[in-house]
Amino acid sequence: MVPISYYLILAAALFCLGMFGVLIRRNALVVFMCVELMLNAANLTFLAFAKQNGDFTGHVSAFFVIAVAAAEASIGLAIVIAVFRSRGSINIEDMRTMKY
Amino acid sequence: MDALKQFFMTAPVDPAVFAQSLWLIIALPLLGAFVCGVFGKMLGRANVYLVACAAVAGSFILSVLAFWAVSHVEGGSPVAMESAFSAGRIRYAIGYDYGTWFSAGDFRVNFGLMVDHLSGTLLLVITGVGFLIHLYSTSYMEHDEGYWRYFAYLNLFVAAMLTLVLGDNLVLLFVGWEGVGMASYLLIGFWYTDNAKAWAGRKAFVTNRVGDFAFLIASFLLVMMVAAFAGQANQANFSQGGNQGERYRAGLVEKGPLSFQALENLATALPVSTDKAPGVAVTLESTIEKGPLAGFTFGGVLTVALLLFLLGAAGKSAQIPLYIWLPDAMAGPTPVSALIHAATMVTAGVYLFSRMSYLLVLSPTAMVTIAVIGTATSLLAALIAFAQDDIKKVLAYSTVSQLGIMFMGVGMGVFWAAVLHLVTHAFFKACLFLGAGSVMHGNADETDIKKLGGLRTEMRWTWATFLVATLAITGIVPLSGFFSKDAIYHGIHHSHLAGYEWAAGAVYYVGLVIAASTAFYMSRLYLLTFEGKRSPEAKIAHAHESAWPMTMPLVVLAVLSVVALVYALPLMPGRNGMQPVMENFLGPVFSNAERIAARGGLVELDRSVPKLGDYIFAWLVAVSGGVVAAFLYLKFFPSKAGQPAPAWARGVRRFAQNKFYVDEVYEFLIIRPVKTVSIVLFKLLDTLIIDTVLVRGTAWVTARVGSALRYVQTGDAQAYAAVMALALLGGAVYALIQVLQ
Repeated sequence: MVPISYYLILAAALFCLGMFGVLIRRNALVVFMCVELMLNAANLTFLAFAKQNGDFTGHVSAFFVIAVAAAEASIGLAIVIAVFRSRGSINIEDMRTMKY
Repeated sequence: MDALKQFFMTAPVDPAVFAQSLWLIIALPLLGAFVCGVFGKMLGRANVYLVACAAVAGSFILSVLAFWAVSHVEGGSPVAMESAFSAGRIRYAIGYDYGTWFSAGDFRVNFGLMVDHLSGTLLLVITGVGFLIHLYSTSYMEHDEGYWRYFAYLNLFVAAMLTLVLGDNLVLLFVGWEGVGMASYLLIGFWYTDNAKAWAGRKAFVTNRVGDFAFLIASFLLVMMVAAFAGQANQANFSQGGNQGERYRAGLVEKGPLSFQALENLATALPVSTDKAPGVAVTLESTIEKGPLAGFTFGGVLTVALLLFLLGAAGKSAQIPLYIWLPDAMAGPTPVSALIHAATMVTAGVYLFSRMSYLLVLSPTAMVTIAVIGTATSLLAALIAFAQDDIKKVLAYSTVSQLGIMFMGVGMGVFWAAVLHLVTHAFFKACLFLGAGSVMHGNADETDIKKLGGLRTEMRWTWATFLVATLAITGIVPLSGFFSKDAIYHGIHHSHLAGYEWAAGAVYYVGLVIAASTAFYMSRLYLLTFEGKRSPEAKIAHAHESAWPMTMPLVVLAVLSVVALVYALPLMPGRNGMQPVMENFLGPVFSNAERIAARGGLVELDRSVPKLGDYIFAWLVAVSGGVVAAFLYLKFFPSKAGQPAPAWARGVRRFAQNKFYVDEVYEFLIIRPVKTVSIVLFKLLDTLIIDTVLVRGTAWVTARVGSALRYVQTGDAQAYAAVMALALLGGAVYALIQVLQ
């Protein structure tokens, strides 16, 4: 049986990958994918702990996260399309108008 | 004769039933004030006159019934009122308690009204003279646009003054006290578009506030003293007045410590020292054990409270050091000066001390202070009146002077004579003021007596009544002023205050000077206004006599100021032979004060009746002042016309004309420093600290911080995410450290 720490290390690695992607990539679509990566890292953690505790609370949380991620992706992609239509670009650096 | 006596001693209404309706006496003028003030302009002039006069007339009728009720004798026993504080009944009094007004802890104030012979007398004066002045005003104010405001204020004043005399506790009295002050302020500044008149109203108000403050402090002291007394006194104390301790404490719970009955029973149960009343726990010399006053003696606290009451009374009754507002109060309409600033409101101080006569006789120090203040005020005002040329100013200073005489009487324990002088003064001074108003009305509002003269033939009714009133105030036989003033002087001369033996003589001899001065300046006023030839500087060539609503009150008041002499004649059987009618009548009110004075020996009240020689002497004093004035103003000055007066005479005259520069001294000593301190506090505390630092400073800091922090909002979503990631990192590191430790 694989020890639980392996799952957690994998989840942490995925989370960090996702986080750095969100912080440094300029393409809005890639940023979205990185967000999904972070969410799934969290899912993996939930499931790992659920397995360790032997109950289904973690599974329930994972399903919630999947539902939220679906909603987030649909709204996010709609925003990206709207931005692309008005500016012709999905570069995040072009989306800095809401400032002081 | 017996049938007549029987008639006056049988009230038409059962006193116990009537007592429940006492509130109507106050409510009528209050309703009148409301109707005139709110609907006055809609109702029109004639209806306002009707409402205002009818309200006071109704109140007068009720007052007559009340007066009748307190003289009611049935089957040989007079009408009496249950007392909450003792088993004994209060004779010759009716009252009704309408329940709690407010209470807090042990303290409680009831809305209770009471009429006895003292307040009954004042009720008649207030509503009777008040009605005459309302009637007079209908003619005097016939051209004024603010008539509805005027009558609303006037009715309000009457309601407040009636509250003052009807209240059976100090708090209700204070309500009336403040109410009359407010009405007085409103009426002095009635023509508020004139700046000087508005300022005169403000001066009266502020000066009165100083006194009211002292009044309040004195009331607080009495509350604490009553509480201390109720806690420390033993049964021997209460046996002094044939009372029970439980009964007194039950009364305190039911009626509160500031009810006059509480104070009266306290005075009865508080002996001067233990040698006179063995076994008592509390005397004037014993110290208060508990409470904020712990360590002070009962006598000391009582004296301080009475002296503070004196300051309060000095504010309302225009005595040194607070008399300065009354002469300026003449800025109001003349009938107001007659009603408020001569006949009724300014006598509130005399009423207050007469009401609390039983406390006063326990403190010779307070009494002598009152007498000395009264004497000094009276003399100062009389001297200032010598050189005033404004007819109303002379009368104003004369009022101050006469009030001083009443204070002399109260201070030396001649309470009944002071009250009698209050009544007769109300008659003749109201007559004088209304006469002055009539003179102004007929002479295009001229007030300078140097520019009047010769009105004797042109205003016959005004002249005749003014002459009668002048003779009354100067003290010529057989007018009421002579008898009431002489009753005071006689009492002063023969009374003794323990420790202040010099007072009787000193006050009496200065009093003689005051009497002669009064005769002098009043004769001068009369001669310059009515005798001689009409001044060439007069505004109009011929004066016109006023209409009947103005002359009728004058005639009534002149008749009253003659008839009132009956009250000073020794016609009634007393304990030591015949005694004056008024003394006999007020006997039930002051009997406790006399009993306490006789028991304690601190004050020796004289009850002898003046002899013929005393009368002749007093008469000579008055005549001498009048003769000097007549000689000077009819012979001496007219013969010297055209020649300049010597320098010293002009100097003295200027000094007196400027009121001995008292206003200037006050300005320099009190108003300026207060103003300076106020300005410093205003600039430093208000403008700098509160406004600049606290209020505007807070706003400034918030704005600055906000404008600095707004650069954090870059609009870059990834920058925000980076902040969140850093925070996460920090959290993770912190958690790690915790775990590792």
